[in-house]
Amino acid sequence: MTAVGWAVGLLAVVAVVLQETVVERLPLPGAAPDLVLVVVVVVALLRGPRTGVVTGFAAGLLADLGSDHELGRLALVYVLAGFLAGLLEDDVRGSVVVPAVTGAVAATVAVLGYAAVGVLLDDPRTTGGALWRSLASVVPYCAALTPVVVPPVAAVLRRVDRRR
Amino acid sequence: MHDRPRLLLVALLLASITLTALDAREGSPFDPLRRGVDAVLGPVDSAVGGAASAVGEAVSAVGDLADRDEFERLREENARLRRQLAEGEGDARAAEQLRSLLGQADELRLLPARVTAAGGALGFERTVTLDAGERDGVRPGQSVVSADGLVGRTVRVGPWTSTVLLVDDPEFGAGARLAGTGALGLARGAGPGRAEWTQVEPGPVAEGEVVVTSGSDTFAPGLAIGRVRSVRPTAGGLTRTAVVDVLADLGSLALVGIVLDEARSGPRQPLPTP
Repeated sequence: MTAVGWAVGLLAVVAVVLQETVVERLPLPGAAPDLVLVVVVVVALLRGPRTGVVTGFAAGLLADLGSDHELGRLALVYVLAGFLAGLLEDDVRGSVVVPAVTGAVAATVAVLGYAAVGVLLDDPRTTGGALWRSLASVVPYCAALTPVVVPPVAAVLRRVDRRR
Repeated sequence: MHDRPRLLLVALLLASITLTALDAREGSPFDPLRRGVDAVLGPVDSAVGGAASAVGEAVSAVGDLADRDEFERLREENARLRRQLAEGEGDARAAEQLRSLLGQADELRLLPARVTAAGGALGFERTVTLDAGERDGVRPGQSVVSADGLVGRTVRVGPWTSTVLLVDDPEFGAGARLAGTGALGLARGAGPGRAEWTQVEPGPVAEGEVVVTSGSDTFAPGLAIGRVRSVRPTAGGLTRTAVVDVLADLGSLALVGIVLDEARSGPRQPLPTP
């Protein structure tokens, strides 16, 4: 595995642990922001679609394994999010608007994709109410969180580049 | 070179779908993998989640409560609330009879546990992780309670941690009764802080009535689930449904008790004739 691979893997593990222990327990209205999705989006923005989809798959599987739904459901939507964000690959370190918009679009795609698979699987959790609630909260939260997560992820990736 | 990410995208999407399809079947081949992740990430969650809770508690705590004291207090409050619940509805004799009928144990064998993490899956899922697992005697399918009432049921148990399906998750369902009338029905999760009561026998449902577990292999009887918020008008249906507010504050759980299995030792006694 390359140094970038290790760094991205570490970012995924940290994101999943922080998501479960801290972010999901924040007393925020609606559904919690998705830090894992945001990290996938930022990695993809900085490194392109290839790294984006691989990061999305790895982080998604890890998040899936720790939760109570079928394996691969979050992986699927994070892969999609990683690809879409990767298409906009850019040096976004100075920008707020590009990461925010990308985060919002990725979150919308992720929530809709997750719900679509839920409908196919006849998942009782996929209700209209839950879908609207997720769209109304996860999307704005991810839009706000993405620009904040850019500097730390960029710093980690830059460190790896310098060592190479 | 330009086509490679697209190829990778398709490959990983297919891999995800295949995994989902395999995992959706009975007897998933991935259970050992989940156990492995629970065993490795569970302690990490406990450490990080414990630290995060400690910071949160340090900020919000007024008194300096040791775990034990807090647990004792919760237990007393639990017992008191359950007594109140049984006695507050209807007259004392009916409540006493209901109590006996429910076969309610006076003391539940409770294992204290701390909530260290929560599961959301983009807001569709309602689970929490506790810092007690197989080694502490926790098994899948045990009830979890807080001072206010039923919190959920353990669904996956790792060596050091366990995952609890919360009462308001739509996957959650439990046999239940109305504490006031004793009518039997089913309580199902219906999103954050909400549950749905489906009464399977004829009879009135009033707003403010308390829904308690009826007792089964999984749930100890008489655990308070929620309070009826509004009754749905039914047009000639056999069942009646109502929206229920879950009593336990599922959004800010800290310390909970896991009800350890209690095998019934003797035959149940019939009620004395009045």
